[in-house]
Amino acid sequence: MTPTELFHLSITEAASGLRRKEFSPVELAQACLKRIESLDGKLHSFITVTADLALEQARKTEQELRAGTNKGPLHGIPIALKDLYATKNIRTSCHSAVLQDWLPDHDATTVTKLREAGTILLGKLGMHEFAFGGPSVDAPFPAVRNPWNTAHIPGGSSSGSGAALAAGLSLGSLGSDTGGSIRTPSSHCGVVGMKPTYGRVSRCGVVPLSWSLDHAGPMARNVEDCAILLQAIAGYDPNDPASANVRVPDFRAELKNGIKSLRVGVPRANWFKENRGTDPETEGLFNDALRTLESLGAIVVEIDGQPFSLARKANQTILVAEAYAYHEKRFQEAPEKFGSSVRRRMLEGAFLRAADYITALRARTVLNEEIRANFSRVDVFATPTAPRPPEAFETIDPNEQNLRPSFTNPFNLTGLPAISFPCGFTKDNLPVGVQIVAQPFEEGTAFRVAYAYERATEWREHRPKL
Amino acid sequence: MAKDITLAELQTMADRSGLQLTDEDLEKLLPGVNRSYNQILELRGLITDRTEPAAVFVASRTEKR
Repeated sequence: MTPTELFHLSITEAASGLRRKEFSPVELAQACLKRIESLDGKLHSFITVTADLALEQARKTEQELRAGTNKGPLHGIPIALKDLYATKNIRTSCHSAVLQDWLPDHDATTVTKLREAGTILLGKLGMHEFAFGGPSVDAPFPAVRNPWNTAHIPGGSSSGSGAALAAGLSLGSLGSDTGGSIRTPSSHCGVVGMKPTYGRVSRCGVVPLSWSLDHAGPMARNVEDCAILLQAIAGYDPNDPASANVRVPDFRAELKNGIKSLRVGVPRANWFKENRGTDPETEGLFNDALRTLESLGAIVVEIDGQPFSLARKANQTILVAEAYAYHEKRFQEAPEKFGSSVRRRMLEGAFLRAADYITALRARTVLNEEIRANFSRVDVFATPTAPRPPEAFETIDPNEQNLRPSFTNPFNLTGLPAISFPCGFTKDNLPVGVQIVAQPFEEGTAFRVAYAYERATEWREHRPKL
Repeated sequence: MAKDITLAELQTMADRSGLQLTDEDLEKLLPGVNRSYNQILELRGLITDRTEPAAVFVASRTEKR
């Protein structure tokens, strides 16, 4: 591999190369920065590139490695962050005119943790405005494009994270997920994304969309890299009221334990046929993935899909109510600063009564119990991540993006850990992902299933032609 | 199914919420607002008098210095 192709390395490969002095942290950062310079003009995955900072951090890392300091597997690894993670003195725009020039005076807890782990910050990534709605057509920054076909959406809201990873612009990233915003772009861009258990990763310093549904989490090019990133950012944070004071296991330690006799529940009835239904090609690839899991020793069973399907309505009600409550003052003072799509959807929250919001929270109690009751029969749930492959920009209506059937948002409502990883490509060479959902604080089980599948297939070797 | 709210009712609600929205904004909003209300009716069918909201208040003690 030439120095200019270092951007293709996984985090584990890059960490190994840095330790063996096959290349330096500066060469690795430069390779990513050159890749960004040559490709991002057509992908728009970055809002802000922090080239000077990245090179300064890389030079410092070089000295540290030379002196024998080892901060672990992320030491010297270039990463990029969704532009809603507060970064001290670095623009944090949320892809919105509302915060276009905001320079935070603090770092998010997760940003601090990644810096302490020795990562190199390449920049801040494009997203759906305030992590809501669809790709923005009237935001101050262009909509992110899918590296597999730039005429298609990359999925959102962590669209820049998905696109930058798939295109080889960054080795790791953080996204956020309120209804599927880590998992959907992971599926649409052919990468791996983990929405951890609610409370596992601090939300302190992550601009909220909906306090009770927001999850911060990692995205990467393979399962092990994703586990490494989660290891670095997980853990109790007293500055996040929802943070869970629970032990963080070694996520990499159980990756290779296999899935023999693991019971996989598929909530196919009702849910797959909801509204416009699941795309047949997507369902075919998902069924192939189930057969692969069976060949690895898993036992696949059908479970009741009814409560999963109903969860979307509670999720949407809570989301718009909390999102409007957070932005109310801004809507009263300057609603025109919001993009048309996000303005229209968030304003629905202004007209909900307190009793409506509480009804949704009470339904959340019921649905949570019903969904989790399935764990008496199975170890994990499996679904396609998205009902259909990434659509073309010209065919989508941004106002309808949050009203679509969703395989992801029930697990924001229930706070369960859920991972998306690639399970194949359509005839048009667009990626499709599968989602595995585990019990609370059992991210390790979801990683284990994803890792076993990933090693048994060759999807991780595919790269978009750019 | 509850009776849908009208554009005039939505205008009144917007005014009371301190929102200055154009007629065009309100017209675009109306279908979504009515869809939200209908969703609430469906969710109401799931709950009983014994169902508490999924939000917990925890009383926490402040230690003396």
